[in-house]
Amino acid sequence: MISVLLFGPVAERAGAATLQFGHRSGLTLQQLRDELAASHPQAFEIVCFTAVNGEQVRDPQLPLKDGDEVAFMAKFSGG
Amino acid sequence: MEGIKDAVRIQHDDFSQDEEIRALKLSSRRMGGIATFLGCARDFSEDREVTQLAFEAYGSMALAEMNRLRDEAITRFGLLDARIVHRIGTIEAGGQIVFIAAGAEHRGPAFDACRWMIDELKQRVPIWKKEVSPQGDSWVTPHP
Repeated sequence: MISVLLFGPVAERAGAATLQFGHRSGLTLQQLRDELAASHPQAFEIVCFTAVNGEQVRDPQLPLKDGDEVAFMAKFSGG
Repeated sequence: MEGIKDAVRIQHDDFSQDEEIRALKLSSRRMGGIATFLGCARDFSEDREVTQLAFEAYGSMALAEMNRLRDEAITRFGLLDARIVHRIGTIEAGGQIVFIAAGAEHRGPAFDACRWMIDELKQRVPIWKKEVSPQGDSWVTPHP
């Protein structure tokens, strides 16, 4: 299982702060994003950053492992 | 005397600038200049009244990134010490949001590092701000 974390504006648009996604062999970050974006288009419209297990990831082809924590995040607005 | 708090923190509670500066100064007596930045909650944004700001963070990642940022600032500007405190949760207009302090032998690096840290924090640290106003709430989503 992949734990998907959403925060702030993305969580509000998705109507959830966490989602569980069944892991399958060969699943990449891009595939996860595409599938979630299809079911939550408004939320993913503002996603700018992605992190896997707390580290920002820029390679969409990154293979995901069972148990990974993936965050899809809007542009930051702290400070 | 209360123990020294961590140099990098995310917390709901308000903070004391005096306490942070005191803690910074304790790290070295060679510190000739301390520059600080205090971010406050404005009561007005884009033509509308704002009564509160609400902050949410990806806590573990935000704290790790803030620690990385402090370490980088210390190395890059040759600081003697630095501190970063960011609040989350609801903050009333006029309240304190973020505090950054940079201590160096001389004022130049202290000023430069302080400016650099707040600019980098805004770009790199996963924290989001919602403005609460009588007209409704809205997340602040900066344009790229």
